[in-house]
Amino acid sequence: MDIEDYDPDADLMALNMGPQHPSTHGVFRIKLILDGERIVKAVPYPGYLHRGVEKLCEKLTYVQITPIFDKHDYVAPMTNEQAINMAFEKLLGLEVPQRAKVLRTILAELQRIASHLLWLGTFTLDIGGTIGGGASLMMYTFRERELILDLFEALTGCRFHYNTHCPGGNRHDVPEGWETVVRHVMDTIEPRIDEYEAICDSEIFLMRTEGVGLISPDLALETGQSGPVLRASGIDHDLRRDAPYHAYDQVQVRVHVETAGDCLARYKVRVAEMRESIRLVRELLGLLEPGPIVGSKPIKSLVQFKASGGQVYVGIETPRGELGTYLVGGGDQRGAAPYRCKIRPPSLHAMSVLPYVLPGHQVSDVVTILGSLDPIMGEVDR
Amino acid sequence: MSAWEALRERFDLPEEPSAEEPPVIDVSRHVEMAAALKEFGFTMYVTVCATHFPEEAPKAKKGEDPPPPIPEHWEVATVLRRPGARSETFAWRVSVERPVVPTLFPLFAGADWQEREQYDLVGVIFEGHPDLRRLMMPEDWDGHPLRKDYAIDTRVHPWR
Amino acid sequence: MAVDEGSRNYEHPAYDYMERMPGLSLAMTTVDKVLEWSATNSLWIFPMATSCCAIEFISSAAARVDIDQIGSVVRPTPRHCDVMIVAGTITVKMAPRVKKLWEQMPEPKWCIAMGSCAISGDFYRDIYSVVPGIDTVVPVDVYIPGCPPNADQVLHGLERLQAMIRSDRAGGGMPREERPETAKMINPENRRVGDPERDPSLTDAQHDASRNLGVGANSDRTRDARPIGDIAEDEAADVRGSVDDLEEGA
Repeated sequence: MDIEDYDPDADLMALNMGPQHPSTHGVFRIKLILDGERIVKAVPYPGYLHRGVEKLCEKLTYVQITPIFDKHDYVAPMTNEQAINMAFEKLLGLEVPQRAKVLRTILAELQRIASHLLWLGTFTLDIGGTIGGGASLMMYTFRERELILDLFEALTGCRFHYNTHCPGGNRHDVPEGWETVVRHVMDTIEPRIDEYEAICDSEIFLMRTEGVGLISPDLALETGQSGPVLRASGIDHDLRRDAPYHAYDQVQVRVHVETAGDCLARYKVRVAEMRESIRLVRELLGLLEPGPIVGSKPIKSLVQFKASGGQVYVGIETPRGELGTYLVGGGDQRGAAPYRCKIRPPSLHAMSVLPYVLPGHQVSDVVTILGSLDPIMGEVDR
Repeated sequence: MSAWEALRERFDLPEEPSAEEPPVIDVSRHVEMAAALKEFGFTMYVTVCATHFPEEAPKAKKGEDPPPPIPEHWEVATVLRRPGARSETFAWRVSVERPVVPTLFPLFAGADWQEREQYDLVGVIFEGHPDLRRLMMPEDWDGHPLRKDYAIDTRVHPWR
Repeated sequence: MAVDEGSRNYEHPAYDYMERMPGLSLAMTTVDKVLEWSATNSLWIFPMATSCCAIEFISSAAARVDIDQIGSVVRPTPRHCDVMIVAGTITVKMAPRVKKLWEQMPEPKWCIAMGSCAISGDFYRDIYSVVPGIDTVVPVDVYIPGCPPNADQVLHGLERLQAMIRSDRAGGGMPREERPETAKMINPENRRVGDPERDPSLTDAQHDASRNLGVGANSDRTRDARPIGDIAEDEAADVRGSVDDLEEGA
């Protein structure tokens, strides 16, 4: 807390929240200027988890970077790997075979379900607290999330931090009987999502979320929101449908849009996306035909990577929104590592809306609004 | 009519858009470009990427004099997106010898943190930004980590 | 005092004698056993959760693995807690806060480093903004390796801490897992900056070292390129030196 903020004669009070606060979803500090219980001004301070990943990428070769990208958004590592590998593929001009495309799409959708399940559990934990009943829903959602992590473990050997994508394809092909287990898991999870919806019968949940944290469509677009936050504000935009990648052009993605723009709308969008993802996984399993999972030219030497000096931007739709990678290739002069690797994290933009949204709310609403934006600090700070 | 065709003559862009080389425009037309694109429907601020290129002497070809060295410069690439059906991105670069670029904050509020981050890590000053403070590093940090002359394992006091 | 004598399983040779003495029936060993039982089975946890390991840590308190079964409760305030679990990367910006929170915890307290980032910094170890291991900031009792460790390994780490506490209370003490380079980093002989007793030449040498790093991370390595044999000898001498320091310090 800065000393100049302290003014004993004024009616305003400065309150420091974080960086170690149980509901900031990581390490995040926000300074609130309060008039009684009402927020007048909010100043966020990120950067407590800045790990210098962009600098590290400049020292490593293209193949070595994938496991590092797992650790940005540690709730959805699969989609993170896909984002960086798609940028490499665009820069190096590599083709991905059909089976790998479908497999990547399935993994992305499974990851979306797992990520939203974790979000739902921690969001209700934030609102209800351990004693207020929020912990019950967290137990349920983590039970279902473990089922999906088991699927990933059967495929890659890791619970998370998979390192299963590489430029030009995937490393691990599906084990025998995996599709059957996936279908079974989907059948298990689908009715349980209906059970979660019982939380909307709770008067307290509605009072805490309805009309809280309004983000207007203009503000959402201007601050660069994406993903569920943007769709909850009434903007019909989803990269899976509007700029298809992987095998999304072979299926029809139904985008759920809410117009309210409050925390409840963001909850509804995410729950609807879980249902949609389950439908997509079932449909995509039918498209998984036998074939190779890496490109026709396997990546054997780093020499292949050396001759790429362009600059590309690739953005994909992760559970949190548009995760983009702006890549400056090394070219002949600078060797087989990217010269500059800029990551466009959706959570950073989601957090940057806080100074606009928080003023006027109560202190307890900070936790609700922060949780509804679904920020991952590893991604914000990198 | 695509955005490229609409803006090609006005900003003196090449004939065809290249997938790997965003066009370079003059820094004085940077804000004008963003405003024109915003009118054209590119309302979503995606990212800004500043890159530091230190002074470099290109390799000489056999039997030729070495080419003149490339002076130290910075490249700032900006990406905007048009949301909705058939969404597409538009990227362009400006190249400057002093790390000073006009800000896009009055046009896109989303540029706020992204530009602060680039100032923090690369040291590019976004002229006109109302609140250009460090975002990631502590406020008393010395240097800009993503510059090429900044060693990755620079000593931080109690630890190394 | 209600002490359950029936559940005792500790048979000291002097115990029978003490039991026969009036007034000594509340044997110290039994009281000690109660204290030990309560200390090991109510390890309240303060999660210093920063990154990926935090998610696995939540999993360890969720549906499949439940640390509640050994009496551990997660409390979000340091003043209620006995164990700090550092789960995730600690950066230079965050480290002073970790230290402050650690100092706010009441004694007795223990610290568990969960995951390779907290143990050593993992592959972020050499990056400008990352602390190479939390044991350079606070003393660590148990290390749980993994990236991230599975939820059941967190449970195992807590059980190891329980065993350590029992062993400590019985006077046995468990050998701490010491690593030479860590001991060197937190060597009390080397005073930190700001300490009036610190040798000013150390500070100067450190500043010189950082100034002379040169351009690029690899340049300092190429500059003092030496034959491999020499390097190995030098490193061996370094390790020997640090071990000598340790023994002198002890």
